[in-house]
Amino acid sequence: MQAQATVRLPDGAHPTNYLNKETTIRSWLLTTDHKRIALLYLFTIIFFFIIAAVAAALMRAELLTPKGDLVLSETYNKLFTIHGVLMVWFFLVPSIPTVLGNFLIPMMIGARDLAFPKLNLLSWYILATAGAIVLYSVTAGGVDVGWTFYTPLSTKFSNEHVMVMAFGIFLSGFSSILTGLNFIISIHRMRAPGLTWMRLPLFVWSLYATSLIMVLATPVLATAMLLIVVERLWGVGIFDPSLGGDPVLFQHLFWFYSHPAVYIMILPGFGVVSEIITCFSRKRIFGYRFIAFASMAIAILGFMVWGHHMFVSSQSLYTGMVFSFLSFLIAIPSGIKVFNWTMTLYKGSISFETPMLYVLGFIGLFTVGGLTGLFVAALATDVHLTDTYFVVAHFHYIMVGGMVLAFMGGLHFWWPKMTGRLYPEPMGQLSALTTFIGFNLTFFPQFILGYLGMPRRYHAYPPEFQVWNVLSTAGATILAAGYLMPMIYLPWSLWWGKRAGNNPWSATGLEWQTPSPPPEHNFDQTPLVTEEPYGYPLAATTHNRHTEGRQREMEHA
Amino acid sequence: MSTAAHPVDTHKPPEVNLTKFGMTTFLASEAMLFAGLISAYLILWISQGKNYEPEWLKADKFTWPVLVTGINTCFLLASSGTLYMGEQAVLKGKSITAWLGLTTILGAVFVTVQYFEWRHLYSEHIWFHTGGTYTSSFFTLTGFHGLHVSIGVVFLAITTLMAAAGKFTPHRHDFLTCVSLYWHFVDIVWIGLFTVMYLLPYFIH
Repeated sequence: MQAQATVRLPDGAHPTNYLNKETTIRSWLLTTDHKRIALLYLFTIIFFFIIAAVAAALMRAELLTPKGDLVLSETYNKLFTIHGVLMVWFFLVPSIPTVLGNFLIPMMIGARDLAFPKLNLLSWYILATAGAIVLYSVTAGGVDVGWTFYTPLSTKFSNEHVMVMAFGIFLSGFSSILTGLNFIISIHRMRAPGLTWMRLPLFVWSLYATSLIMVLATPVLATAMLLIVVERLWGVGIFDPSLGGDPVLFQHLFWFYSHPAVYIMILPGFGVVSEIITCFSRKRIFGYRFIAFASMAIAILGFMVWGHHMFVSSQSLYTGMVFSFLSFLIAIPSGIKVFNWTMTLYKGSISFETPMLYVLGFIGLFTVGGLTGLFVAALATDVHLTDTYFVVAHFHYIMVGGMVLAFMGGLHFWWPKMTGRLYPEPMGQLSALTTFIGFNLTFFPQFILGYLGMPRRYHAYPPEFQVWNVLSTAGATILAAGYLMPMIYLPWSLWWGKRAGNNPWSATGLEWQTPSPPPEHNFDQTPLVTEEPYGYPLAATTHNRHTEGRQREMEHA
Repeated sequence: MSTAAHPVDTHKPPEVNLTKFGMTTFLASEAMLFAGLISAYLILWISQGKNYEPEWLKADKFTWPVLVTGINTCFLLASSGTLYMGEQAVLKGKSITAWLGLTTILGAVFVTVQYFEWRHLYSEHIWFHTGGTYTSSFFTLTGFHGLHVSIGVVFLAITTLMAAAGKFTPHRHDFLTCVSLYWHFVDIVWIGLFTVMYLLPYFIH
């Protein structure tokens, strides 16, 4: 539709787009274009991801043998702290929201930019500064308290650098808050004419829910981190029992943020899956409203379950029972989503392009992660499983099997839009399969290890656990190969990839109606939306399995 | 989804005040920060019950300075009133420099009184670390709020200067709107803090 107003090059590229309009470093560092900021975020979080992944690789190498022979136990503690802190706050929390969300939300709602473009750039600078501070604390001597900063370990027994790292995390929270705020206002006020709430793409819905959590939960983390700094600096008794404080109070504050943060780390993934699964099934999404409202339900319920991290703390049994019940409750909206995605596949015209492979992997792994979550949400089994590798495996199935796969799927899906180039499809499919296999081999043995009783966060272990640890380390090697491939072929495609054209997947959605890469102002004319999203040829309740609709659409394109 | 092209002008989205909405959302986030701090304080208090106040302070029949702070609270509430008058005046196109100046002064008075209150307590050896969680939570919470008020006073001063320079018109005064939202928020938080930190312990005494 944009074609009438635009001078088009033969390959469908816009003569000037957001990438080639200005190319100086200054124009990148001072940009307020949401698309450029998305790419700044992409480089930043990949940088942190690589550091955190190297820390994980060293840990897996250490765990090859029962004896602690590669690194000292102190070094090991620092490694898992680096891994956790960087992966959670500098990769997973910003991943889909800041990269894909920044790039896509204005395009999906038919806007020129986010509501506050300068604030958007500021968020990036805050995150980069916070990351630099955290890296400083690592190089200055390292922190060994794990990503959870439990007191009194963090306030009394560990070294001074804890304060620096806590301050870095405190700061990164503001990046999160401002990003969430920007998304909320944009989604409320910047939608194109005709784009009602019930016509919003599900990706936008899921990021709306995510943003609410970012704005309302992150300040409580800020409180917790700040109080650690205050207690250490002035010897104030807040968490330290010998000064009259309460160490469990820290756990309450920390998990009040960090459990909702789990949903910050998975809800955006749900959004990506909803977009991709309907596109590659060529079928309308099943139960649009249920998926949208399930996101909101998860966001709200997510605030009420933090106590399930504290079943073995001094929390009362009755409190534990309430939290256990609420945690089971939150499985319902998650279950609705998995059911609806599966129903979208049913009798769809499915094809297995790279994004779809990642997403199908997501659904399986997220289901395993979610179901094992019920084991640890049940009071009795949790007592056995707390602080074992079972917990480690459970949340990696959500964080890596869920969010990282969704991020990779989304990155591949929208890569042609972001860069105007196609990556080599067979390589993409190979990397999706490698990641899936490597992931399962890495983390499934950890369920067994945890069930057998191996505790987390130790650099040495009894010899009977070795076989499972060797399997896990072998899997990590394959997983690393799965990650490395896109890091090679995606940059390669920037120069040598085929031109993508406006809409290589024949997808619906406003973002596909503008050239790839998009012009700086996104749309030449403000789009007018007249229909629900996902107007794919096969209806959600279709009875036929033929692919006629798809062919018709291809001819049309 | 199928769309039809429309020229930009005919389908302009309705004029909305994004800045005000953004500031309100930010304040919701701030509210959660104070909610975290206040609930931490209440949990510490309730879990320790009668042992909450250290013996040596009990022996002195010590209470936080309720009267002085109560009067000081009036200054802060009055500043919200004068700021509101200023907001009304700007809509009518009148000069608001005097109202904003008065608000700034009232805010500054509040901060100054709080400062002398802290200094007085310090001279009596009541400080962050001298009385367990009883004193540490008091100083952390009032300090945190005081920091917010101080930031507010700085912004009020800037707003006053902007008003004097004639930067605000009945239709364009986003900066003023944001500062006043923030200031009213800080006031409301203070009413909560004053209730749980000064009044409740005083009456339970």
